[in-house]
Amino acid sequence: MPESHNLPAKPAGAAMTRREKAELEARFGRHINEGQVKYLKAGHLDVIETQRSGIRFVDPVQNRPFIDCFGSAGCFNVGRRNPEVMATLVAALDEYDMGSFHMVSAPKARLAKKLVELAPAGVDRVLFAAGGGDAVDAAIKLARGATGRSEIISTVKGYHGHTGFALGANGKAHYREYCEPLIPDFRFAPFNDLKAMEAMASPRTAAIIIEPVQGEAGIFVGDDDYLRGLRALCDRCGALLIFDEIQTGFGRTGRFFACEHSGVSPDIMTIAKSLGGGLYPNAAVLYRGSKTLAGYVDKNPDFHPSPAGGADLACLVSLKAIELIEKNRLCANAEAMGARLKGALRELLEQNPKIIKEVRGRGLMIGIEYIHEFMGPMMSDALAKNGMFAAYSGNAPQVMRFMLPLTVTDEEMDTVIAAIRGAVASMKMLLPFALPAAKIPAVLRALNNEKAQIVLFGFLRRVEDAVGVVGRAFKGGRS
Amino acid sequence: MSPKRTAVADPFDDFAAFVGPGAVARLRGLGHDFLETRRAGPCVWDAAGKRYFDCFAGAGTFNLGRRPPRIVAALQRALTLTDQGNFAMISIEKARLAATLADFTPGGLDCAVFSVVRGETVEFACKLARGFTGRPELIAFAGGWHGETGFALSLSTRPDQPHFAPLTPRTRLIPFGDIDAARQAITGQTAAVFFEPVQAENHGRAFAGDFLRDLERHCRAVGALLVADETQTGFGRTGKRFAVERAGVDPDMLIVGEALGAGIFPIAATIYQQRLNAFMNDHPLIHLSTFGGSDLGCLVALEALAVYEETRPWENAEKLGVRLREGLEKIAAARPRVIESVAGVGLLLSLQLATPAKARDFCKALAKEGVLAMPGAVEKRAVVLRPCLTITAADADEIVAAVGRAAKGK
Repeated sequence: MPESHNLPAKPAGAAMTRREKAELEARFGRHINEGQVKYLKAGHLDVIETQRSGIRFVDPVQNRPFIDCFGSAGCFNVGRRNPEVMATLVAALDEYDMGSFHMVSAPKARLAKKLVELAPAGVDRVLFAAGGGDAVDAAIKLARGATGRSEIISTVKGYHGHTGFALGANGKAHYREYCEPLIPDFRFAPFNDLKAMEAMASPRTAAIIIEPVQGEAGIFVGDDDYLRGLRALCDRCGALLIFDEIQTGFGRTGRFFACEHSGVSPDIMTIAKSLGGGLYPNAAVLYRGSKTLAGYVDKNPDFHPSPAGGADLACLVSLKAIELIEKNRLCANAEAMGARLKGALRELLEQNPKIIKEVRGRGLMIGIEYIHEFMGPMMSDALAKNGMFAAYSGNAPQVMRFMLPLTVTDEEMDTVIAAIRGAVASMKMLLPFALPAAKIPAVLRALNNEKAQIVLFGFLRRVEDAVGVVGRAFKGGRS
Repeated sequence: MSPKRTAVADPFDDFAAFVGPGAVARLRGLGHDFLETRRAGPCVWDAAGKRYFDCFAGAGTFNLGRRPPRIVAALQRALTLTDQGNFAMISIEKARLAATLADFTPGGLDCAVFSVVRGETVEFACKLARGFTGRPELIAFAGGWHGETGFALSLSTRPDQPHFAPLTPRTRLIPFGDIDAARQAITGQTAAVFFEPVQAENHGRAFAGDFLRDLERHCRAVGALLVADETQTGFGRTGKRFAVERAGVDPDMLIVGEALGAGIFPIAATIYQQRLNAFMNDHPLIHLSTFGGSDLGCLVALEALAVYEETRPWENAEKLGVRLREGLEKIAAARPRVIESVAGVGLLLSLQLATPAKARDFCKALAKEGVLAMPGAVEKRAVVLRPCLTITAADADEIVAAVGRAAKGK
């Protein structure tokens, strides 16, 4: 293999020069995606993750730690490179591999049993899948197969993944429009609007699929009454209720599963992300052992085999991650730390009504919405300068998401809050320039346009970098 | 609401209770109702110490054998450095794997998007094909099996498709190996044509080289993309690094499966020509995969590629594929009423029996004789034999002997 590919294989803790980073970006751009590099640079999200540990990683170029507020959209509930989960995987490798995916294994049986113990009442069967999208596709196949109906109702701006069925349920045109025609018979109702859903659902509906807290849409918490209303609606129509708990599961919202807040049990539930302990892909569909659902699966045990899901190594990792969430009371910690963070953000909202429009969330799944979309990349930058890595929502760039590891301590939360305060303060310095311009409709449209943002913020970024180079050269000359 | 079931210690009882009795009943029917304890080389052992040659190989995942020591060590080492990473970010590991795959694969396949499971790779390929060409139609061949997710399912041949209908519009299946039908079907409306060089699940049916070259020529002429799904044939299975090399065609996209992670870490990829990336560069982050391209998975895959490169298992597959096939053909010739035909390429071989029930029974007889094999997912009368590519000549002979004993028992 050409030596050059091995160039940036660095031991943990080694620094990376700007030149090495540029080489890495060129290689990533050539062999994966140049557009992604530009996009991330424009949003100041082009940091490299080394020394991943707990709530932090270290950017080897700037040689400084970042607090990971993105957490791969909810994968690192037990923290980055949790030592106990790592030790479990290292030990498991002495005995196990992925295993034959169609066969019974002790790890699979143990995890299935554990998941049923944790699942809402009545949800007592498990189908393993490889990732979130695979799980959602399996859930929708199950709903259609079991009911003999085809209509699936999702929510506007809902997000369920990128595979065929999941994409059908994706409520944002951006992800869909270039790949059409997609699987038909999906409809979309506004989230948290029971009346709209009641008007849409009928006895031809196979399932309603929602996220109990919408993630990529920009952190919208489903009201308890809404979820209860959906349950009753599904029961009336003979439709199945699917909760996508891929982002909200495993303690994220302060309960093991977000649906526990409302006491509503779905018929089908999809889980992924933190099931993998931040180390190993794993996902599952949990469903009711009812005649409709279990009857279908037992007659069609092969309806969705997953050659990569429910691997033996994965199940052992998942079991350990779950054990830690329980043992270390991470649900309670998510609730307590979430309350602190939300309180601090609400205070910032009161002080900065021209920047922050709303603070929403449950547990440690919190979003702040800015007045304008273009503030998303500005805030990413401001946060980055204050040692925080945070990304705006895929389906809503005006919303910044905070999905910290649930292991965050009181002291770490002090740091997080101070950093956000610092970031808002530095945003304020820029706004006297941006806000008057944003009053001109055409400028606002341009600022809020993703492509224009990449060009504009990419340009600003290059200017900054150039100034930085001059500055460093100047400093270097003096020392 | 049904009450939670009470605790039981036997994994089979738990599996039946929480995953389903249907799955366990199916395993009993195949004689696969045992726990894999030791896993090493081309074999697994059950709790009683009985050895089985793994001729299912996770449907083409365990090309390098079970728990290959270098791959196990690579993941243990990777864990001292990294984790799965934030999926949307630039990473050293992802860039290294993509660059290395560009060198490893034939032709100008220069770009990679990672997935975690087969099927997800096909989803991306379909989206890229539609996005890049601006055309809607996706075509595949009858008898193929591309995966479980929406697009892949729509392009597969399976009787339960109506359960999940309506499926992806503007997808169609065309007759296998019929160039006139292909020329008629593949037009200026066609975004991409998907093919498995050998239909592993369909009694090892292989496309003729001439057909694939004609297909390639026609696709070029009408501007349709040619996509080789090498989930099961890649990384040496058919006696070449990739099966497309056998025919000498250069696909626009090449799909590889979990053999990339050598059975230690689930990772798969869609590898494609640089010119197609114009679309992805204009629409970054339009297709995301949280677990696809995990940094740990990339490090595992890099070691797997190094092992593939150094040990060249395709040479072994070519050589022992012939030996295994000759042995199987002898048995078929002696017992034509049990084994109707032998098909396949390299170490992707298939026996055809009279009925699906007989194929399942034959799998059970094989299990008794120490060989793990599964019926085909499309041709259910077939029993697919795809051992790990690391088998020795003696292993091949043992597999043949076991098949012989199983055939005699009929």
